[in-house]
Amino acid sequence: MFKKILQSLSKSQTAKTEAPKQAAVTAPTKAAQATSGVLNQIAKPATTPDKPKTPEELCEITPKMSKDQIQAQLKLLYRRYNRSASSLDSKIRSEADQMLTAIVTVREKNFGEI
Amino acid sequence: MAEYVGIDLGTTLSGLAYLKPDGNPEIVPNSDGERLTPSVVFFEAHEDVKLVGSAARDGGEPDRTVFQIKRYMDDPEHLVEIDGKKWTPAEISALILSKLKRDCSKIIGEIKEVVITVPANFNELARKSTIAAAEMADLKVKRLVNEPTAAAVYYAHSQGVQGRILVYDLGGGTLDVTILNVEGDNIRILTSEGARHLGGSNFDEMLLEAYAEQYSKQTGAKLFTDERHRRRVLQTTEDAKKMLSKLQRVNDTVANDKNDGIARIDLTRESFEKLIRQMLTRTVMLVEQALDSAKLKTSEIDHVVLVGGSTRIPKVKTVLEKLFGKVPKSCGNVDECVALGAAIFAKRSARIQEVCNASYGTVAMVYNARTGEEKLMNSVVIPKNTPIPCSRTQIYQTSEDNERVIEVDITQGEDEDAKFVDVIGRITLEVPPNRPKGCEIAVTFSYDENQRVRALVVDKQSGRSREVAVSYKGAGVLSEDDLKRKSAHLRTMRIE
Repeated sequence: MFKKILQSLSKSQTAKTEAPKQAAVTAPTKAAQATSGVLNQIAKPATTPDKPKTPEELCEITPKMSKDQIQAQLKLLYRRYNRSASSLDSKIRSEADQMLTAIVTVREKNFGEI
Repeated sequence: MAEYVGIDLGTTLSGLAYLKPDGNPEIVPNSDGERLTPSVVFFEAHEDVKLVGSAARDGGEPDRTVFQIKRYMDDPEHLVEIDGKKWTPAEISALILSKLKRDCSKIIGEIKEVVITVPANFNELARKSTIAAAEMADLKVKRLVNEPTAAAVYYAHSQGVQGRILVYDLGGGTLDVTILNVEGDNIRILTSEGARHLGGSNFDEMLLEAYAEQYSKQTGAKLFTDERHRRRVLQTTEDAKKMLSKLQRVNDTVANDKNDGIARIDLTRESFEKLIRQMLTRTVMLVEQALDSAKLKTSEIDHVVLVGGSTRIPKVKTVLEKLFGKVPKSCGNVDECVALGAAIFAKRSARIQEVCNASYGTVAMVYNARTGEEKLMNSVVIPKNTPIPCSRTQIYQTSEDNERVIEVDITQGEDEDAKFVDVIGRITLEVPPNRPKGCEIAVTFSYDENQRVRALVVDKQSGRSREVAVSYKGAGVLSEDDLKRKSAHLRTMRIE
């Protein structure tokens, strides 16, 4: 059913440059270090350079989302950024920390404080 | 000679325990009479001696004192420079282990082989550095064991409990959450999740900021301007944090070292809990992640066990009680149970089934023949939570005609999206020319009991293959020759 074609990171990075632009929320990992500053796109979007994003915007939470959808999104982001928070790169670590703060803030707003 | 010895090489405190003839573990005190040794090393300027422990921590010369070296065990470039000599994290850790070995062997006899505990989410390099540190200290590592596993082993042993146990281990530097199953004498780990840089020292730093702000408000001056004084105030905040686990309110006074006056700090438990609330929420999210990983609900956990000094904070207990609907239990002395469990583990390791702490795989373009979808993704070969030791193989195909060099990335992480995993190595394999795309390549990953990874790539047509253990390069990574040379040198050092 599935055919798996080997790709190295360098090949996939080349492919990425040709691919359409990615969604705003991407994670900083060692793999992403090669393209570095991914979170800069989040903190300073090109359209509104002076206005920092809200925690909901950072977490891509929209008003139409149900509680279950919000919870699933927060769990996904927490897993990703908790991992990034262990990065050896202090910049990635600091950015992951900001994202974790945003995730917790959204959680507290939607599901109450612990 | 002590046959079964366990060492908890902690971020802030280290301890050594051995198994007594009656089968019960006991902590062995160091030569200073302390059951636990602060994981701090001081490089004395006037005498050729390395101080380890309380004397080092209280020495007062921050430029010559190394704290929390464990946090850098996975950093291949981290070096500590003292008097022009560069020390790797493994060498600093070796000094701590040497102190434990030398002091404790005076009480329990010669120590040759040990089990050493590591955080559940320690990566390959950190585990390798820990083994190297032990070798330099003339200790053979029988096994590395994850800290929460060791704590659970002790809890199960001392309380005689059965069923599913969730261990919440909030130490000085890290949080680990492990879920395991105890049936009779057998223990099966179900999953482990970890958060680095989340522990008691983060709370101390938060309190330090609060103290500095209060001082500045009251006196208009800075509380500290150098590392030496910052360390002193940090120790004060740690003491205040500990007091707030017993009292509702703490009144403190602080001063800087410039005679700018004294500030009165009035701290309540409530305000401290508010300060650390978001950090505690992160710990709850890690608990939820562990439950999801093991496909369990809170109601399916029989016992919640607290480990690590930071679980003395009352709010930690109330938060977990609210989440699980049952009172979390402490396994005796939360600072000692990891070392005690490691000593039991040294004897009973055959009865303890551990799992892979992360998924391992490679990057692949995956086509779904049924739907026609294609997706570049992290293709997992060994899934997280697979019982270890284990070995798994996946068959892949080459992507281009006349591909001469096959490149296989070794990824670590569960995420399908390759951007969200770590690439921890790469194997390149030269293959014969003039072949069409679609040739089969077998990729095998093996995971050993010490949670170290090996990868084997086989070109099925030509039979050519290449195998590698994940290895790291960097100024802070010791070669085999370095290791031998430094081991010999370390054994001649005066360590007190």
